[in-house]
Amino acid sequence: MNQFKFAASHKAVTYGMMGLGVLCLLITFLIDDELHTRFWSNYLHNTVFFTGVAFISLFIMSAFITAWAGWYVTMKRVWEAYALFLIPGLALMLVLIIGLWGGFHHLYHWADAEAVATDKILQHKSAFLNKGWYTFGTLIIMGVWIFFAMKLRQLSLDEDQYGTTEYKYHHKMRIWAAAFLPLGGFTSAALVWQWVMSVDAHWYSTLYAWYTGASWFVSAMALTILTVIFLKFMGYLEAITEEHLHDMGKYLFAFSIFWTYLWFSQYMLIWYANVGEETVYFQTRQREYPVLFYGNLIINFLVPFFVLMRNDTKRKYGTLVFVSAVVLIGHWLDFFQMIKPGVLHTAHEVMAHGHDHAHGEEAHHAFMMGFHFPGLLEIGTMIGFLGLFIYFVFSRLEKASFEPKNDPYLAESLQHHV
Amino acid sequence: MAKANKEVLYGLYDDEEVLLEAVHKAQEEHLEIMDVFTPFPVHGLDHALHLSESRLHIAGFIFGAIGTLTAFLFMTWVFTRDWPIIFGGKPYFSAPAFIPITFELTVLFSAIGMVVSFYTVCGMSPGTVNPTLDDRITDNKFCIAFDTTNADATISDQLRAFFSSTGASEVNVKTI
Amino acid sequence: MSAVVSPIRDPLIEGGKTYGQITEDICSPTERVPSLAWTVAFIIAVLGLGLYVFTVVWTIFYGIGSWNLNRTIGWGWDITNFVWWIGIGHAGTLISAILLLFRQKWRTGVNRAAEAMTIFAVVCAGQFPLIHMGRLWLGFFIFPYPNTRGPLWVNFNSPLLWDVFAISTYFTVSLLFWYTGLVPDFATLRDRSKGIRRKLYNTVSFGWTGAAKHWQRFESLSLVLAGLSTPLVLSVHTIVSFDFATSVIPGWHTTIFPPYFVAGAIFSGFAMVLTLMLITRKVLKLEQYITLAHIESMNKVILVTGTIVGVAYLTELFIAWYSGYLYEQYAFYNRVLGPYWWSYVGMMACNVLSPQIFWVKKFRRSITITFVMSIFVNIGMWFERFVIIATTLARDYIPSSWSYYTPTWVEIGIFIGTLGLFFTLYLIFTRVAPVVAVAEVKSILKTAGDQYVGPNAKHQHETETAKTASH
Repeated sequence: MNQFKFAASHKAVTYGMMGLGVLCLLITFLIDDELHTRFWSNYLHNTVFFTGVAFISLFIMSAFITAWAGWYVTMKRVWEAYALFLIPGLALMLVLIIGLWGGFHHLYHWADAEAVATDKILQHKSAFLNKGWYTFGTLIIMGVWIFFAMKLRQLSLDEDQYGTTEYKYHHKMRIWAAAFLPLGGFTSAALVWQWVMSVDAHWYSTLYAWYTGASWFVSAMALTILTVIFLKFMGYLEAITEEHLHDMGKYLFAFSIFWTYLWFSQYMLIWYANVGEETVYFQTRQREYPVLFYGNLIINFLVPFFVLMRNDTKRKYGTLVFVSAVVLIGHWLDFFQMIKPGVLHTAHEVMAHGHDHAHGEEAHHAFMMGFHFPGLLEIGTMIGFLGLFIYFVFSRLEKASFEPKNDPYLAESLQHHV
Repeated sequence: MAKANKEVLYGLYDDEEVLLEAVHKAQEEHLEIMDVFTPFPVHGLDHALHLSESRLHIAGFIFGAIGTLTAFLFMTWVFTRDWPIIFGGKPYFSAPAFIPITFELTVLFSAIGMVVSFYTVCGMSPGTVNPTLDDRITDNKFCIAFDTTNADATISDQLRAFFSSTGASEVNVKTI
Repeated sequence: MSAVVSPIRDPLIEGGKTYGQITEDICSPTERVPSLAWTVAFIIAVLGLGLYVFTVVWTIFYGIGSWNLNRTIGWGWDITNFVWWIGIGHAGTLISAILLLFRQKWRTGVNRAAEAMTIFAVVCAGQFPLIHMGRLWLGFFIFPYPNTRGPLWVNFNSPLLWDVFAISTYFTVSLLFWYTGLVPDFATLRDRSKGIRRKLYNTVSFGWTGAAKHWQRFESLSLVLAGLSTPLVLSVHTIVSFDFATSVIPGWHTTIFPPYFVAGAIFSGFAMVLTLMLITRKVLKLEQYITLAHIESMNKVILVTGTIVGVAYLTELFIAWYSGYLYEQYAFYNRVLGPYWWSYVGMMACNVLSPQIFWVKKFRRSITITFVMSIFVNIGMWFERFVIIATTLARDYIPSSWSYYTPTWVEIGIFIGTLGLFFTLYLIFTRVAPVVAVAEVKSILKTAGDQYVGPNAKHQHETETAKTASH
């Protein structure tokens, strides 16, 4: 079957998931502290996670088009759909932007005027870390990304309809894809710095954007494997075989190792130089959030490394599903531990704004569900966002055939064998 | 590897696809191929010959694991037991600093171990002289060879018929 | 490998070659008397090698004082050259290993020469840690061996020692990978020769016969070595970057160094491969094997890695401002406007601006432009290491320690000498071994030869292997 039909029962499941998400967000909001820290940080976490998956899917697709890759084209519609999720992603970010201007959330210490007034570091950074840049940076940059995603999608659909053996559409796609690569590379760094790195406003790391990029990459690949296997289970994507999945498994393996390498580079260099302003980032995580800190490494390195090393495991659907699910949750946890400690610290700072307590002094906080470890509400919220993602992606899949019949690499993809 | 003199009946082909078809035919006719020689690896040939999968990667993994343990345990012993010194205010068991060398030695042991294993199981080393059936096999000819040392005339004829029916460009006998 | 090839792909072997012609074209340069071009080049290279030996002996005899290293610029041309050479070496492993994992067929035209280049580049790089020790006869101290001084072990915690292991491993594994691939090709040369030549090639080909089981193991070994070499090549230049990044010096201590150095290494390595290949293909008449498609692909890699390097530069500049850290900000201010501003400009112009020319397809496929660019890129990458090392050390924390550094004739001579060493080794390689991987090119003939693929294809080829192979 080449034309996807979003079954009513599946749609209902995604509605249920979204409903669960909304419910969890509501409950979180109600039981939260006065700044609604848990609510907003859950929202930020999931928005960044899924929007990032969308962005990186666009990037991957562009890289593959530019590199003349042919093996994946019978599943390219999945990545096209993932990339279009940037549109709801922008809407989700808009909520955060409104929250920023309205003072509804205190996720970012640099957005708190009182804090900036007394903090030299925040004052210095305010030329970049301010509401204006956050807003317009997000809107304009994501706007550009959406433009590229839609452009590549339109060319892909046009090729299906009007493509000839002159492959004019394909050549155009190559130009747009190639142009997106440096653009996406530069601009995603700026947004990562704004959205995620600035949560720990006093800290910085030049590798940060590449590290989050790698985390998104593995997440996107894991989600793709799960989606593809699910679609095959439903009878679609017959042209995708173990050969294609083997390749995706290889990417999952390789980029999990690449992510670990970036994790280690960032950690070891900061550990080695032992500069207080930098080490505080990891000290907080190792001392106060050890389960997250070590769990991150175990789940995202040890599991994929040992499970996916052998050739045969990358061809077994069950194993791939298991490892992809583990790694997807693992990288969701990675973003969790990137965001939560800083947000909690900021919240305490803002709430203590009458009291004079030395910045950098880390009071040992008691265990807080939803910060030191994801609770049921976090999982429910994640399921909600995942439901939204699946709903949107599957709706896009309905709009085009899985078989790109005029793609120059179609024959290669159909006969793909490793 | 038996070094006793063998009589080999071999056929040369000009194309690897023709060779593959011939190999399939030989399997169908239950002819026992001694070996197949090609100037480059032919995709699908090991499958056609029912060759068992190479286990070199297992050797690679084991050697690598030995490298990992050797490096990490040795450095740990040196810096926690043998002669502990404080470097840069770091703890004696400075695990992050051990990682680069551990990784390198893993790769080194794995690579050397695998390469040495490869040449050992293939029976190759500097100066090994293997009798070649034909100098053109490393050029542009593909060869199927049968061991006809103890074969009688009927088998020889059967083999020659096989060669001519599968499109071999030459058939020769050699004693090696 | 997929046997079906998209009509949109360029052929990678031109001239309608047969297997026999491939053997003949690639092997015959090693059998002919060397051409005039080779001889002249060899003489120049050996002169360079002689300069190298002379300047190194001078350094050992008169000491490191014959160089201009000073306080606080303790690392100058020596370490700049070390990193430059190691970086160049990375392309070979990338082409062999990473492109193998990505199933890029075009690698077969250039991988043999690129791997050889890696080994020779690592040989050149390895000279510098040794000679900059001063008392190089005590060089074995850096290896952890049981001794009577305690035993006094080496400092496993130091990146300088990680370098020792990284480069030794890299050299060994690259050599093994290169040599493994050479064995079948040496067998081809063996079977084409007689007498003592045949005996020599038999020794180095280990008695290779081309048996099916051996090829099966060979492919398995190549794949695993490729899988090992990929993280290895990343780790080597990462560890070299750790030499700088583990410090607290502003401009050196920055977390982006590892992948940024690796990208830069690939960038300069590909440029050197292009420099060598453009000359080699012309002199040895191998244009039909090292085609414009190969050159274009390599230029694309240069464009990508150059842009990644550019992203890293801009990230460093931005985060230096963002950090609010006075010394970090000054380090970059100094790079752009300080006494070494010309090296920064050279670096930016050569590394970030000039590769952008490759957005234009016509330029990607132009031999002249590619050759000029390949030199520019290597000059730019040399400047980059110089900027990182000398510029940063010239002006660090305390103004009273600020100094300046210019190399002496000895240091310049050593650098030029290593070029002589490199080209001597490379030219010898072109005489004794096939410059292109013979067996590998034959294996892609039917899926990438121009009689099967591309606009002049005489037959659309779908091999039987696709139909019979099943997993």
